[in-house]
Amino acid sequence: MKRLLGVALGILTAIGGFLDIGDLVTNAVVGSRFGLSLAWVVVVGVIGICLFASMSGRVAAVSGRATFEIIRERLGPRAAGANLTASFLINLLTLTAEVGGIALALQLASSVEPRLWIPVAAFALWLVVWRTKFSTMENVTGLVGLTLVVFAVAVFLLGPDWSELADQALSPTVPAAEGHAVYWYYAIALFGAAMTPYEVFFFSSGAVEEKWTVKDLAQSRLNVLVGFPFGGVLSVAIAACAAIVFLPAGIEVSSLSQIVLPVALAGGKLALAVVIVGIVAATFGAALETSLSSGYTLAQFMGWSWGKFRRPAQAARFHLTMIVCILVAGAVLMTSVDPIKITEFSVVFSAIALPLTYLPILLVANDPEYMGEHVNGKVTNALALVYLVIIVTASVAAIPLMIATGAGS
Amino acid sequence: MSLPPDEHPPGLVLDARLHLLDRQVLDVDGVPVCTVDDLEVHGVDGSDLPDGTQTAFVTSLLSGAVLATRVFGGRPPSSRWHRIRWTHVADVGTTVALGVRGDTLDVTWTERWVRDRVIGRLPGGRHDPG
Repeated sequence: MKRLLGVALGILTAIGGFLDIGDLVTNAVVGSRFGLSLAWVVVVGVIGICLFASMSGRVAAVSGRATFEIIRERLGPRAAGANLTASFLINLLTLTAEVGGIALALQLASSVEPRLWIPVAAFALWLVVWRTKFSTMENVTGLVGLTLVVFAVAVFLLGPDWSELADQALSPTVPAAEGHAVYWYYAIALFGAAMTPYEVFFFSSGAVEEKWTVKDLAQSRLNVLVGFPFGGVLSVAIAACAAIVFLPAGIEVSSLSQIVLPVALAGGKLALAVVIVGIVAATFGAALETSLSSGYTLAQFMGWSWGKFRRPAQAARFHLTMIVCILVAGAVLMTSVDPIKITEFSVVFSAIALPLTYLPILLVANDPEYMGEHVNGKVTNALALVYLVIIVTASVAAIPLMIATGAGS
Repeated sequence: MSLPPDEHPPGLVLDARLHLLDRQVLDVDGVPVCTVDDLEVHGVDGSDLPDGTQTAFVTSLLSGAVLATRVFGGRPPSSRWHRIRWTHVADVGTTVALGVRGDTLDVTWTERWVRDRVIGRLPGGRHDPG
């Protein structure tokens, strides 16, 4: 019974933990402009993150080595240093977007200016990183984040034309008002939102934090393989809500209040309250994960002592890195930049950076010195190669498309 | 009379570049100490620039500022190097294990500095996460 509860908890946490500000914003924007015609990208992205996360989790559980130690060891100081610089900056951009998301959600709940919420959010973030146990932090934000299920409920309450939605999703076409380049630009953004690299740093380092061994592999695989697809279903539900309410009216989503509007229309004040709680939990959870990832990547590259299971004084440089990153994210947001815009850029840059982390993980997952008998099987490798092609294509195409479409405008 | 040099020496053969450089160094308690940023190599005659014609020994693992010279090139003065003597190395696997505690080593001075000046002074910094 206790074991069953553990399994259920793991899966529920994975569902709640899947969504972050990137998924919320990108899916709503895409839904309002393209309907469900990009839903297939979410499916491709979810299969990709399942593959990638379970591979990095397996590497960490079997070898005890987290992602960036491996990247440094495989690529040497120059290539790994360039990789670290890119990954660290994109992670910082994502952290900024998440903290901005917390502030915007709290503004919706309180009508208090986001710039008053930003210092509060940043301080709360640091307190949790500083004092809370890793597993508590993961479970609480994941479980509260589950309230985002209200997006799926809202789809039913809105009573859409199901055949039209199914038609958009199953035979995708580019809407007449949008160009092909914009369609593919948002396809890459959606792919980047589902497969953000920080999830991999976090997942592999989390496996070390929670001291996983080979025995825990089955459980972790189950969490990922069941939890993430349900997270993907919620992503599509967010897009569907926007498609039902905004697509016919020709309104483009550009703020958090618009993202939650379909839920409020469908379920009234109560549903609105629930969705705001969910967004705060999801963005706060993702902000924790990105703060920790900033510490993980730098500490693992440099060989410093790291981990939340240690006292802060025993991982001093790791904690200092996180404090600096949280301060920088807060300072950037205080300049009144639009967190939604930051989010849109962060998901595209995530897509660009994907090959940097994906390839080293794939190489090490095939290295018997690290993995012994747990090296990748043939099926995993075949699938992994297909994804390598997809990831590299998306990465190469992202910048030209960004320039050609004026970042999707 | 001396024996001819052994072509295939018995035991574990390590390639310094492959098995030592950029590996994680753990201390005797399994706490991360640093990454092997570079190696100090001496020839049998004690010269610190062995020319490849004589047998050379790894005398120390190096870490710290020397990393910059591996990225950008150059060679810092040896007075600036932070060394872990090779005699402290207990095992070489996917990580390099030391037989001593990392806290006492020269290479962890930045960790001690940040701990004593910043992190250790913040409330709760020296307590277990709760």
